[in-house]
Amino acid sequence: MKHASCPLSRLLRIATLSALLGMPLAHAADDYSEITQLLRAGKAQEALVKADQRIAANPRDPQLRFLRGVAQADTGKQADAIATFTKLTEDYPELPEPYNNLAVLYANQNQLDKARAALEMAIRTNPSYATAHENLGDIYAKLAGQAYNKALQLDATQANSLRPKLALIRELFSADAKATASKVASSTRAPAPAPAPAAAPAPAATPAPAPAPAPAPAAAPPAASAAPAVATPAPAAPKAAAANSAEKDVAKAVHAWAAAWESQDMNGYLGAYAKNFRSQNQSSRAAWEKERRERIVGRAKITVGISDLRVHVDGDKAQARFRQQYSSGSMNVSSRKTLDMVNQGGHWSIVRESTGG
Amino acid sequence: MPLSPFPFGHALATAVMAGLLAAPAAAAQGEKKARQPSGKKAQRKPARAEAPLRDGDAERRLLEIYRLTAEGHARQALPLAERLVRDHPNFQLAQLALGDLLAARTRPVGRVGDVAMPPPAAAARPVPAQIPGISLASAAAAPAPQALPPAAIDTLSDLRAESRLRVDALKARPPQGSIPAQFLELSARTRHAIAMDASRSRLYLFENTDKGLVLVADYYASVGKLGTEKQAEGDQRTPLGVYYITSRLDPATLKDFYGAGALPINYPNPLDVHRGKTGSGIWLHGTPPSQFSRAPLATDGCLVLANPDLERLLKTVEPRTTPVVIARELRWVKPQALQAERQSFHDVLEAWRSAKSQGDTRRLLGFYAPEFQSHRNQDLQQWSQALQAEAQALQGRAVALKDKSVLRWTDSSDTMVVTFGEVTEGTRTGPVKRQYWTRKGARWQIFFEGVIG
Repeated sequence: MKHASCPLSRLLRIATLSALLGMPLAHAADDYSEITQLLRAGKAQEALVKADQRIAANPRDPQLRFLRGVAQADTGKQADAIATFTKLTEDYPELPEPYNNLAVLYANQNQLDKARAALEMAIRTNPSYATAHENLGDIYAKLAGQAYNKALQLDATQANSLRPKLALIRELFSADAKATASKVASSTRAPAPAPAPAAAPAPAATPAPAPAPAPAPAAAPPAASAAPAVATPAPAAPKAAAANSAEKDVAKAVHAWAAAWESQDMNGYLGAYAKNFRSQNQSSRAAWEKERRERIVGRAKITVGISDLRVHVDGDKAQARFRQQYSSGSMNVSSRKTLDMVNQGGHWSIVRESTGG
Repeated sequence: MPLSPFPFGHALATAVMAGLLAAPAAAAQGEKKARQPSGKKAQRKPARAEAPLRDGDAERRLLEIYRLTAEGHARQALPLAERLVRDHPNFQLAQLALGDLLAARTRPVGRVGDVAMPPPAAAARPVPAQIPGISLASAAAAPAPQALPPAAIDTLSDLRAESRLRVDALKARPPQGSIPAQFLELSARTRHAIAMDASRSRLYLFENTDKGLVLVADYYASVGKLGTEKQAEGDQRTPLGVYYITSRLDPATLKDFYGAGALPINYPNPLDVHRGKTGSGIWLHGTPPSQFSRAPLATDGCLVLANPDLERLLKTVEPRTTPVVIARELRWVKPQALQAERQSFHDVLEAWRSAKSQGDTRRLLGFYAPEFQSHRNQDLQQWSQALQAEAQALQGRAVALKDKSVLRWTDSSDTMVVTFGEVTEGTRTGPVKRQYWTRKGARWQIFFEGVIG
């Protein structure tokens, strides 16, 4: 759960929190920023010690407790962090941020229903709280993925549909932090091309979905946002096209294999199989070739119909599944067939042939 | 207040299901009387009384979810989908609907089972500011549509087909008061009848009341992997024809695969045997624990129903007297429309009865086809001797036909399957016999006769 610490530290909503509570005490503000600095510098352990010290003096201070929760999460104390944020939601049910962070922690433990409930509470307390909306969107997407996996009877391990969404979660958190609390956010992402860290007045109420917060950090963000927007479809297109043409090549190879079989062209037929092809029933390649010759050469007219062809290409490997309608003389057999193929020097060859399924 | 995180959330979900349910909204009009008052109840009901094992219940709830979604109430549909999935975690179609409803909260959902994540989903996020380094990294990972394994692609298309069939069954109800044309006449001893429309993956259960056949339930049901018209052992097809349930198999004696139990039918029947068809073990049975229902074309020839639906059949129908018509497409007619057909065949049967009563074996033999075979594999020659012996035993006493049922099966030829109790004058009971008649031009002839009980 390496993601856990990153998004949370980016989620520091100091400005937001103090604004909402309306009690920015001068001395306390120094404490907050000191702890925040430590967190940002990756010194979560020190931040936690500091927060604990300050809380000893101000046990009810929500800001400090919030920071302690972040520090706990960053130091891997998930259970402590959950306890801290849970207590905060009880003491300050009107604050959306503790709910949000609670949700992130639950999500990291894959407790999606709890995460969802927490986010829905966050939104109830502050309907325009963009982070919670987006996080909730991701939770929905994850839950949708789970439901789809069950619908299609896929193993969760087999279906990697959730992974990209996790990446998205990370991205969204950072984006939102930037939109609402640009000062913190911008310096968090240290290696970024330094957008002016203007202490944007960005009130928490500004809904992130609107491109409104852009003006503060000047030209940088629009440019940044434009970049991925363009970049996104671009890499997808050629990839899709390539996949498409590979699928066509595989389909072509399948039809060529069937045609060679039909015309009893043994060179073409056997040539469709890779050198390392092994029949499941025959001990050696030679024995298999002999059997195939006996079964093909000199038969009554053979027809091999292919229907419902489905091709799945994965790099240099492909799987072609189809219904094979074989007939010769009075024999007429329809069966499901699967050919596993590999691309060898631009040529798709059969490495495995199986019937049924 | 709507908390819609994304403005397109429910609008899109609507688009999805609207296509699916476009017509049923109209179909539902016809049922408005029934539906309207129960509308509110339907929403409360599942929350209170979870009765997951009621036949047809899961489908009703699924279609209600579709209807709400189509009408733009995806938010109300979502909790219903969650409940349905909780009650039936193995109902794949419900999981798919839930997936769509959840996905629609985050991205456009274009059709039922919109599993693949379309590339624009990432770009569509209304978040303006992004740091190139981060977003590019994830842009590479996220937008590539998830390549589903081939098996999952097949499953998905099967689920879409199942979904379509279930919705269609709601849209195209059999005309009120009509029955499948095969049920020419059913004796009062036949309490129930079953008809399967393979083209619709739909099985209909009738009760034979004193007012005639009444449709009491209908269920989604799967047939053979390669469809219907079974010819031979292992051809993965479901037979077409007129059959009877032969027994009731206790699930305790069966593998999990058969679910709630099984009702074997008498395939191959005498017509099938006559046509040289082979194979055996055609059952109505339930589903394995991993699946609430199976794909439309999924079996090795059996008819497969969801367990709650099969349980209803198990509890309801009687072996031996319950006919099962399996047709490619059922033709629904008003019972009155069969009157002329019924009467004209009644006359044929009456002529046979009268020849038999008079002990006129020459005339009686004329009713039997040259290709005749009895259930003991007697040919016509042997049969005529049997008839003669029977005539002598009757000594001119009349026979009466009791509890007569007549089922008509028409494909390349025309067949009547007649079941009756043959009672000799002066006695109270007699053997139950079944005859298969075939039409040759205007003439009906018996090609099979046997005692079945």
